[in-house]
Amino acid sequence: MLIERSSNWKESFTERLEKDDGWDNWTLYNMAYEVAKSTLITDFRGLQSPNYLPNLTPFAHQLEVAETVIERMNGKAILADEVGLGKTIEAGLILKEYMIRGLVKKALILAPASLVNQWIDELNRKFHIPAMQFNKKYDLNHCDIVVMSIDMAKRSPHKERIYEQDFDLVIIDEAHKLKNHRTKNYEFVQHLKKKFCLLLTATPIQNDVFELFYLITLLKPGHLGNYETFQSAFSASKHNVEHEEFLRELVNQVMVRNTREATGIKWPDRHVEIIPIRFSPEERELYDMIAALKEHSDVFSDAFSVITLQREMCSSKEAVFYTLMNMREKCTSAEDLAAVDCLVLKLQALQMNSKAEQALKLIRKANDKVIIFTEYRATQSYLQAYLYEKGITSVLFNGKFSKSKRDWMKHLFQQNAQVLIATESGSEGINLQFCNYVVNYDLPWNPMKLEQRIGRVHRLGQQKDVHIYNLAVEDTIDDHIVELLHTKIGVFEKVVGELDAILTSYKMSI
Amino acid sequence: MLPQQIHNYVNRFFRENNCQIIDDQGHYMRIQLTIDMDKKIMNRPYYWQYVESTDAVPCPAQLTFITDVTKNKEAVFGEVIHYGSRRLDQLFQVTREQGSVVRMYERIQRTDGVTIVLTPWLGVNFKVTYSSDQTKESLYSLGMNLMTGQMVDGFQEFLNEVRLDAKTSEHVFNLPYTIKPLRALGRMELAIMDLIKQDDHSWIEDVHKRWKKDRNVLEYFYEGVEERPDSYDVEKKAMEEQYEPRIKIEIVNGGLFYLKAMQAGY
Repeated sequence: MLIERSSNWKESFTERLEKDDGWDNWTLYNMAYEVAKSTLITDFRGLQSPNYLPNLTPFAHQLEVAETVIERMNGKAILADEVGLGKTIEAGLILKEYMIRGLVKKALILAPASLVNQWIDELNRKFHIPAMQFNKKYDLNHCDIVVMSIDMAKRSPHKERIYEQDFDLVIIDEAHKLKNHRTKNYEFVQHLKKKFCLLLTATPIQNDVFELFYLITLLKPGHLGNYETFQSAFSASKHNVEHEEFLRELVNQVMVRNTREATGIKWPDRHVEIIPIRFSPEERELYDMIAALKEHSDVFSDAFSVITLQREMCSSKEAVFYTLMNMREKCTSAEDLAAVDCLVLKLQALQMNSKAEQALKLIRKANDKVIIFTEYRATQSYLQAYLYEKGITSVLFNGKFSKSKRDWMKHLFQQNAQVLIATESGSEGINLQFCNYVVNYDLPWNPMKLEQRIGRVHRLGQQKDVHIYNLAVEDTIDDHIVELLHTKIGVFEKVVGELDAILTSYKMSI
Repeated sequence: MLPQQIHNYVNRFFRENNCQIIDDQGHYMRIQLTIDMDKKIMNRPYYWQYVESTDAVPCPAQLTFITDVTKNKEAVFGEVIHYGSRRLDQLFQVTREQGSVVRMYERIQRTDGVTIVLTPWLGVNFKVTYSSDQTKESLYSLGMNLMTGQMVDGFQEFLNEVRLDAKTSEHVFNLPYTIKPLRALGRMELAIMDLIKQDDHSWIEDVHKRWKKDRNVLEYFYEGVEERPDSYDVEKKAMEEQYEPRIKIEIVNGGLFYLKAMQAGY
């Protein structure tokens, strides 16, 4: 045990005694004592921070998370609330508490570049914490609360400068981006000293249970054993989990998770439906031709490229074209070229798109703002043209847009257009509570991407019930995707906890 | 602290520091800072350097503090100040610097010309912090009679009942101390250590349990690994910083007090 004494007061006392002068003001003396008394923290337990934040009214579940993390998890935890429940507020409360208690003087917050400003703003405005953006010109010794993007942090010379610092608390936002332990990001965080550490993610498992293993290992190496023991204990196959009660118990020691339902806050309902679509005979013929390509030629023997084409065929012929033309360049034999060209001709002759027609029906039925998510840029443009023909206004959105273009598109959608057509990369970082219809035109492999998409509209501030339509073409690769999504959701629910409806409102038992 | 208490605090703070209160409406106030106070709280050293080197007319700032926004109907423009705001933290800090060491005399009002003898006391307010991954603080207010060596706890509360002045009254004889103040301070520090020793320290056992549990988990992860990588040492060091129990002894403030009482007690 260490005993620290400060000798400052003794020095100034000695100095006044010697000079017999410079004595302080009695009223201020008493005021200083009163302040010491009223700010005294008389208990190891309980939160001080709410007293210091009179303008912030946290929800009960947020306060509970802060208390649990500090008192039961000793300041090392994964905050895994569902999207939109305020993980930033929870992290802010914990940081504030540690600062008030003098346990954290320096903190590092790693967030995606697009969220850095939001963090700085919230910490300063809501928590009165003087957070600043990392700047290579600053001396880090004089920066106490630093916010920066992980992509910048992991690079030299920033990396070395960060390692030199003694950060008491490290907060990592969107921590599911560290799911792959072979990345530079993972390695960077692994070697960072983490006295207290918060990992924020609504989706600690995206595809399989190993992602959670690596995330927890980053936080507390050994908590789930080492890789070999974990693998032999918990994984017969990638998508199934054995001993799930035991695993869940261990996970709950380092992870807190609230679901919307459990918060007691009144949420608008979420209605989720899979809308089955039947191909027209022409579309079916093309789909089968694509499936048959792999028997045809070496260029298409790779299962993955055929699956890609099949998925694209379930989206739009425009999406198929793009990939197919790229593949055509690899074709050498006349026979292969002929097969591709035959397909191209048939595609060109195809006049209809059953999925787009179904989407149009849904938009007309909704008679309100609708967001359509697609996986393909080509489909995105096609849909805009198609909807325009039918007299429906739309705007496009993707993740590559700059901040101001995003804001502008959001504004256009809110004011002028009925439909926003977004690609996958557009599903992070925009909040569209004014809209309550989502059409998942294509389904991703990863269920958490669906949850992210839905989270754009189903969040605090949404006034109406939310309707989600998942489009899937019958007897195609779409069926397989739906099945896999169900399995992955099953793993998530067994290990992490309940999930709000993503695919359908009816639970499928696995 | 409620808005009203903060208002009173801020008001008292600036008055004690000789700053003029230009306007006080109960929920907001306007204050003319003195040059000294401007230097202390406005964080503009370059301005003052410039004023002093060019002999320019100094222009200390005027500040408006809103202590209760809910009453701010006339939408006065100013700085909102509340418990937890950085400005209030800063004022607390300055208060502590400005009210750190005092020498005070009990006020004596006698007209009969009899000389009163005052006894010197040393009074010190200590703050003790127990910390590991959690913290707990206690205040001890000790006083020591510098003639007899008698020591008492709760000295600040005792002083609150006495009327004190910065200057000695008439017809008063202040006894010179026989125990030197710095020696007395040393004895107080020992007394604080004794008080700490008598305290309940089950918290230290609890911390060691938490620490050991985490250490075992870490060892398990690297079991059988001959050459431990850097990350192992990094983790171990982080754990030490997280859990190592520490006791910090600070002095809030203190001073010399000349009192009629030979014994402070109740």
